[in-house]
Amino acid sequence: MQAVSDEQLLQWVADGDASCLGTLFERHHRGVYQFCLQMLRNPGHAEDVAQEVFIKILKAAPKFRGDGTFKGWMYNIARNATYDYIRQNKRHGEPAEPNEYTDALNVDEISADQSAESQQRMGNLTKALASLPAQLQEVIWLGRFEFDSFKELGQALDCKTGTARVRMHRAMQQLNLAFAEINGAPFDE
Amino acid sequence: MSDKDSKLNFEAQNPAEQKLWAALEDLPRGEPSNELRRKFYSELHEASKPGLFQRLGDWLGLGQGVGWVTAAACLVVGFGFAQIMQRGAAEDDRLQVLENNLALIQRELVLDRLQDGSPGTRLKGVVDAGEIAATDQQVAMALLDRAAQDQSTAVRAAAIDALGTQMNSDVIGEGVMALLQASDSPIVQLSLVDLVLRHGNAAQVRQLQQLADEGRLHPDLVRHVQGSLRSQSI
Repeated sequence: MQAVSDEQLLQWVADGDASCLGTLFERHHRGVYQFCLQMLRNPGHAEDVAQEVFIKILKAAPKFRGDGTFKGWMYNIARNATYDYIRQNKRHGEPAEPNEYTDALNVDEISADQSAESQQRMGNLTKALASLPAQLQEVIWLGRFEFDSFKELGQALDCKTGTARVRMHRAMQQLNLAFAEINGAPFDE
Repeated sequence: MSDKDSKLNFEAQNPAEQKLWAALEDLPRGEPSNELRRKFYSELHEASKPGLFQRLGDWLGLGQGVGWVTAAACLVVGFGFAQIMQRGAAEDDRLQVLENNLALIQRELVLDRLQDGSPGTRLKGVVDAGEIAATDQQVAMALLDRAAQDQSTAVRAAAIDALGTQMNSDVIGEGVMALLQASDSPIVQLSLVDLVLRHGNAAQVRQLQQLADEGRLHPDLVRHVQGSLRSQSI
């Protein structure tokens, strides 16, 4: 049900109707969780941060100026919350290593009807992405799965549209190199 | 919705990068657990009006149980309705959103009640679940779970009764028949037998007859089944 825009719902939240946050949560919690999971590589931590993101939205709703989309604004909050979490928990351990993370991800999700070779390649792609610095992972993840435009992506990353485009190209170059190193050959499908 | 793939137009000069971009679509992404939803509504209530929630919780006798989460969410929705009533504006879209939220919260409340430590609360949950099970597979499955596992015979029997409208579902139908064969309580067996006799399809009734013929039901129930089937055939 998308009859009411995210921005309108947020306005109602800002007006004091916290129940509308439930609808925003239902629309977006899956995407926010998946983003946090990619960045933190731990399902429990990802759920903690995803939940925190929506509480931050509740508190920050009156500050939304409407000069961008709700989604871009929300992922900016999610991004900051993720980095805060990493900083605060640094003493207790870094995110899981890429291999550990990709093993923990349900490999069955890659799809049972894919060939073993194809599954191996997707596994290597997951590892290659997880091996990149967080600033490169986030631009690829958000650009690939969440946003339709570099303008909105830039809003989420807190940078200009052109900068978001440059970051994406740089990130994809790095991903290509990382994949080739892990896979032993470039992606050729 | 976040689960759609983006249409961001990325164009790389390097063909391998372009192929990587396309391949990213198939990456496994992980799914959040139901705990995230519960935690969110719990946090939402704490972030909203802790003093008020505390007083109302005590008044409702909810203690620290799982019902807290949904009760808190109900209060949030109620607060939303109050806001609308105050303004008196005809905000149909907003009402629709609130109705959807209310339905979602009612569902969580029912699922919470079905897991409560008190048989009385679970019984209330069973009654409420019976009203929405026809349109909610998860609630129907939770009812089946109560029917199969609840420590209280009264709750099990009530859950079986509430499943009546779900017998046309293959999963529920098969679950009820499996339960009938596994149950060793005559009272539960009686409820299951009546459920199949009243709501079961032809195949399920045949299966019931076979169980009776093979003596796999309580002797009194065998007579009950055979008598009922005879009267139905007349």
